[in-house]
Amino acid sequence: MSAQPANNTPPDMVNIEIDGKAMQVPKGSMIIQAADKAGITIPRFCYHPKLAIAANCRQCLVEVEMGGRPIPKPQPACATPVGEGMKVSTRSDKALHWQRDVMEFLLINHPLDCPICDQGGECELQDVALGYGRSVSRYTERKRTVADENLGPLVATEMTRCIQCTRCVRFMGEIAGTYELGGMNRGEGLEIGTYIGKSIDSELGGNIIDVCPVGALTNKPFQFQARAWELIARPSIGYHDALGSNLWLHTRRGEVLRTVPRDNESINECWLSDRDRYSHQGMYTERLHVPMVKRDGTWHEVQWDVALKAAVDALREAGKDIGFLVHPSTSNEEGDLLRRLAKGLGSAHIDHRLRTLDFADAPVARAFGTPVAEMDKVGAALLVGSNLRHELPLLGHRLRQAVRHGAAVHAVGSLKIDQGYALAGETTVAPQHLPSAVLAIAKAASAKSELTPSSALAEALSGVEADAAAEAAFDALSKASQAVVVFGEMAATHPQASWLRAAARYVAEAAQAGFNELPLGANAIGLARGGVLPGEGGLDARAMLAQPRDAYVLYGVDLPYDLADDATAMQALLGANTVVAFSAYAGRSLRDVADVILPLALLPETDATLTNVDGVEQSLAAGATAPGQARAGWKVLRAVGGELGIDGFAFDDFAGLRADLHEAEAPQREGLCPREAAVGGNALTRVATMPIYRSDAVLRRAKALNDHPLTRGAAVRLHADDAARLGLSDGGRARVGDTRVLPVVVDTAVPVGAVWIESAYADTASLPPYGAALTLSKA
Amino acid sequence: MSRITSYFKSLLLIEMFKGMGLTLRYMFKPKYTMRFPMEHIPKSNRFRGLHALRRYANGEERCIACKLCEAVCPALAITIDSAPRESDGQRRTTRYDIDLFKCIYCGFCEESCPVDSIVETSIHEYHFEQRGENVVTKQQLLAIGDRYEQDIAADRAQDAAYR
Amino acid sequence: MSAQEIRNYTMNFGPQHPAAHGVLRLVLEMDGETVVKADPHIGLLHRATEKLAESKPFNQSIGYMDRLDYVSMMCNEHGYVRAIENLLGIEAPIRAQYIRTMFDEITRILNHLMWIGSNALDLGAMAVFLYAFREREELMDCYEAVSGARMHATYYRPGGVYRDLPSKMPQYNESRWHKGADLKRLNQWREGSMLDFLDAFTDDFPSKVDEYENLLTNNRIWKQRTVDIGIISPEKAQAWGMTGPMLRGSGIEWDLRKKQPYAAYADMDFDIPVGVHGDCYDRYLVRVEEMRQSNRIIKQCVKWLRENPGPVMLSNFKVSPPSREAMKNDMEALIHHFKLFTEGYGVPAGETYAAVEAPKGEFGVYLISDGANKPFRLKVRAPSFVHLSSMDDIVAGHMLPDVVAMIGTYDVVFGEVDR
Repeated sequence: MSAQPANNTPPDMVNIEIDGKAMQVPKGSMIIQAADKAGITIPRFCYHPKLAIAANCRQCLVEVEMGGRPIPKPQPACATPVGEGMKVSTRSDKALHWQRDVMEFLLINHPLDCPICDQGGECELQDVALGYGRSVSRYTERKRTVADENLGPLVATEMTRCIQCTRCVRFMGEIAGTYELGGMNRGEGLEIGTYIGKSIDSELGGNIIDVCPVGALTNKPFQFQARAWELIARPSIGYHDALGSNLWLHTRRGEVLRTVPRDNESINECWLSDRDRYSHQGMYTERLHVPMVKRDGTWHEVQWDVALKAAVDALREAGKDIGFLVHPSTSNEEGDLLRRLAKGLGSAHIDHRLRTLDFADAPVARAFGTPVAEMDKVGAALLVGSNLRHELPLLGHRLRQAVRHGAAVHAVGSLKIDQGYALAGETTVAPQHLPSAVLAIAKAASAKSELTPSSALAEALSGVEADAAAEAAFDALSKASQAVVVFGEMAATHPQASWLRAAARYVAEAAQAGFNELPLGANAIGLARGGVLPGEGGLDARAMLAQPRDAYVLYGVDLPYDLADDATAMQALLGANTVVAFSAYAGRSLRDVADVILPLALLPETDATLTNVDGVEQSLAAGATAPGQARAGWKVLRAVGGELGIDGFAFDDFAGLRADLHEAEAPQREGLCPREAAVGGNALTRVATMPIYRSDAVLRRAKALNDHPLTRGAAVRLHADDAARLGLSDGGRARVGDTRVLPVVVDTAVPVGAVWIESAYADTASLPPYGAALTLSKA
Repeated sequence: MSRITSYFKSLLLIEMFKGMGLTLRYMFKPKYTMRFPMEHIPKSNRFRGLHALRRYANGEERCIACKLCEAVCPALAITIDSAPRESDGQRRTTRYDIDLFKCIYCGFCEESCPVDSIVETSIHEYHFEQRGENVVTKQQLLAIGDRYEQDIAADRAQDAAYR
Repeated sequence: MSAQEIRNYTMNFGPQHPAAHGVLRLVLEMDGETVVKADPHIGLLHRATEKLAESKPFNQSIGYMDRLDYVSMMCNEHGYVRAIENLLGIEAPIRAQYIRTMFDEITRILNHLMWIGSNALDLGAMAVFLYAFREREELMDCYEAVSGARMHATYYRPGGVYRDLPSKMPQYNESRWHKGADLKRLNQWREGSMLDFLDAFTDDFPSKVDEYENLLTNNRIWKQRTVDIGIISPEKAQAWGMTGPMLRGSGIEWDLRKKQPYAAYADMDFDIPVGVHGDCYDRYLVRVEEMRQSNRIIKQCVKWLRENPGPVMLSNFKVSPPSREAMKNDMEALIHHFKLFTEGYGVPAGETYAAVEAPKGEFGVYLISDGANKPFRLKVRAPSFVHLSSMDDIVAGHMLPDVVAMIGTYDVVFGEVDR
């Protein structure tokens, strides 16, 4: 077999033979990669296809014959490159003997923890010990113990179980980019730890649980909850960001106990952000189990028929002046039903863009110009107002891989964000100056490219000077064979987002780079395509709250945090005659404004389709059971629509609903908002961002994530100069506006003239929105 | 000749009288039966009867919620929920139910237990009076263990060399 | 004269008839007292054992094998574990083979005692039942002493048996009614080990069989009820696929223990009794003689087991769990213990048929594995099921009371018919 004529071999391939099976494999690949491709199992611990090769566990030792002569020493399959004519035996007596001996060494210091270890039953060490190890140990001496680490609320540790494969160390360095773990000491004293006893703050830290082959790192919220064999794995989709990470829900008796990644090379590879991994805790906190109706100012738990009747009566009475506010993670099907409902009731006021402040160019979320799978291959990138690691954690990782391969990333924004790598250039200005900063890059673009800007943009560009940073940013983009402009959430929620968008898109087009605008919500693209947008003469989300309506329908909206200008919004909702809410939770603010609350199932509990950032529709089937009497949104809407006798609600099942979904790409509209003058005096401009683990209703209730260091709590963050000017000190307290008092943090991320107050905390609710001028004083 | 003897044997009901003689003899022999429930027939120390959960001498429950018994139970009679114990974060059961109607008393749970916690005691006389009593809870199982610990330990000690 | 419409009378024999064994429902078409057609209806005890086995690791189904033919428990286990051992390519240690042989024969005696008691009871002889159950009690004590359960032992395991024979036999306790010399008499067999107990039992048992024979063999009522009733010709017996005493009663010398020796039968000295006429009486004689032969085998096993201590379980931890002491002190052993009790072991892909000579005939297990830790398919060849299928052919033409005698000597147990 191996005597294949060499001239049949492509130049970049070599002929090898593994266990008597001849194959052609790419030059430079390792034996273990060739074996994996051929379906030949070689035991391993330290090797991971996505991580650098370490070859320190020695479990994959094989017997190798090269050029007809056996190599006398055992070779690690993960670190031995293939060579022409190589013959590998993975199951020969010698190889098995080596593997058995290595296994014996690995188990020498392993504690007898299987019965109390969460990894038991899904442990690579157990499996390999059973398959390749000895039956009885010969080691009778004392085993070593290792002091434990506290890695924070997400990852539980038992470092004595560690076999020093260093997969976690490599993950934190190579993928997460935070270098939070490392090996200390040597020989028998080798320990994995954080050096200084800090917790793991990376937004991808949960993945070290998956890469750990033993029970040293386990899922803390899941600790001791269930065994692997009790869990039913159901495929699902992440719904906290628009990446649409593929994942498995591990359920027992209908309850999600943990979440693990489902491999999808084009989306999340084999990783999962902590946000998707740990959010399931929020599904079982403060959930609304029964329909509720408010009568004479007090809430009553009622049966579904009573609640439906109340909702239908209220909608009928409200007439045409109903504002529909739809949460942007609502599925395509529910979105379409809401569109039908609004149309049937004669209302054109329906919108899902709850976090948008600037509607001048009627912005809708669109699919990425550069697909996710290409993001790690770009040669240059420009981040416009993006905290990418928090907005789309796994996209941040992709871009970081590109940087590792030499990509130049420039950033322009209102905050100096640690992107996990060295930026090629960074411009940080207060929010009111951000349009100018982006226009400067556009100016550089217009000078160096043929593309003519639109007249409005050209007019604005005439008054702008391109500085060296802007020139460099554009040069990097235009020189790279593949480049991307990432338009982040901080830009999209900016009060002058239309300017930022016009300029950034112009830069992207001029540099022939992809334009990737991060959608504001897990299914914003799907809802935009599905037409959950204001109709003819309809008001957008901000306008229908600024000009109060008589009645509102809130769909999946967690008040007040989900709305950009929550103070105005709450006022409008409190003043409305009727508010019908569809929600999985009944928070206090929602109870204050609503008249009827219908309990909804959350996305993992329903059949649904979501459209991800690449514009790919992904279906998910209900994986968990909705608690109590909560029902899938499409079923509730069907009941409401059917009761109202509206067209489009006659379907019998989910397939029937899907059969006539509306789909149309929303037209792109030009339009720019008026430029505002810079604020003066003591006022600072607010930068409002959604903290990574406070970005939707479920996350706000996920305990472990809210205990995580990334959930920093309400605070006023400002530049040291501003703090000194206002007499504020780090750790002190500041009065914001007239009444609110918040702790002060002096933060190097914040530019002069800006104050960073994260939204979605109880203490930061109802403050003036992003871009508003705030007066601070010492409290 | 044999025909004649068998004719007479038959005529004289010989085999009938022999049989009746046998039963008559047994009338005067000691009875084989026992006066249950006052006395019992011998019971092996390996007997697999009612379940119990044991404790260590210091009163700490042995069970560590490893769930091997739940996994190995062919009849799916065991249901365990576990969580970190509130006081010290140790792995413990919050629920340990055995449905005695489902149980087939195969003894696999005891074989699987790495800490000798779940055992099948030699108690074989028990009954239920109410619907639902067939599901014995962790508290009940621990109480059985507490009450019969001496017998349980003695039975196990006698069999230690064989397991 | 007008024509008179005459119709055969149909009656249900069972499932609640006192003389119908288990849950047999025999729909009899009667022409007066004569049976024209017998139609056995089965399935009332169906528990889907074969299907259930597909859903659990191999070992977890051992206990369910006990519950097939619930009067010959360990023989069923034997068939099942032999099938697994075949596929795994392992063999139990020699001592385990002897223990299995001994308990197979104890089981045979248990089964035949049950049969002789109930069959005699069906035909009107009360006393035999009482005496047979007395001896059954002694043997069940052996079951209990070795496994902890009087019937559903779950004792055989792939790779051997769970535990070695106990060195002490449980004893009677003193009570108001049994003390002093009386208690000593009760415990006289139980002073030593289980093998001592069995030795004493086997010395005594032939005289007990004599007693049953005394009550039945020459008894004219017994003979009137059984001689020339339910004659099965050798050809017919073979055509119906009969095995065990049903086949041997018809004069065919066929016994897996001799023809395809397994366990330690090749080393055993015993004879195969065969009948001449193939009627109920011959089958009775065959079974009585089998009890005597089983007694011989047990005696030989006791002798061998006394002389040859040794392991009763393979020490291959990939299949059999390590000892408890090892499991608590040794990492490798703990891992194997953990994996064996949760996941079980994978059995190489393949199929096999393993049969044992169960008391009722050939008990076979056809096992297909796809390499997983659960059977892909398990098929049980239950002798009772095969025998019951011939019911109509054999019973037709007999009188109604003969059906009772027939069912008795068929020795059907519904646990394995319905499965």
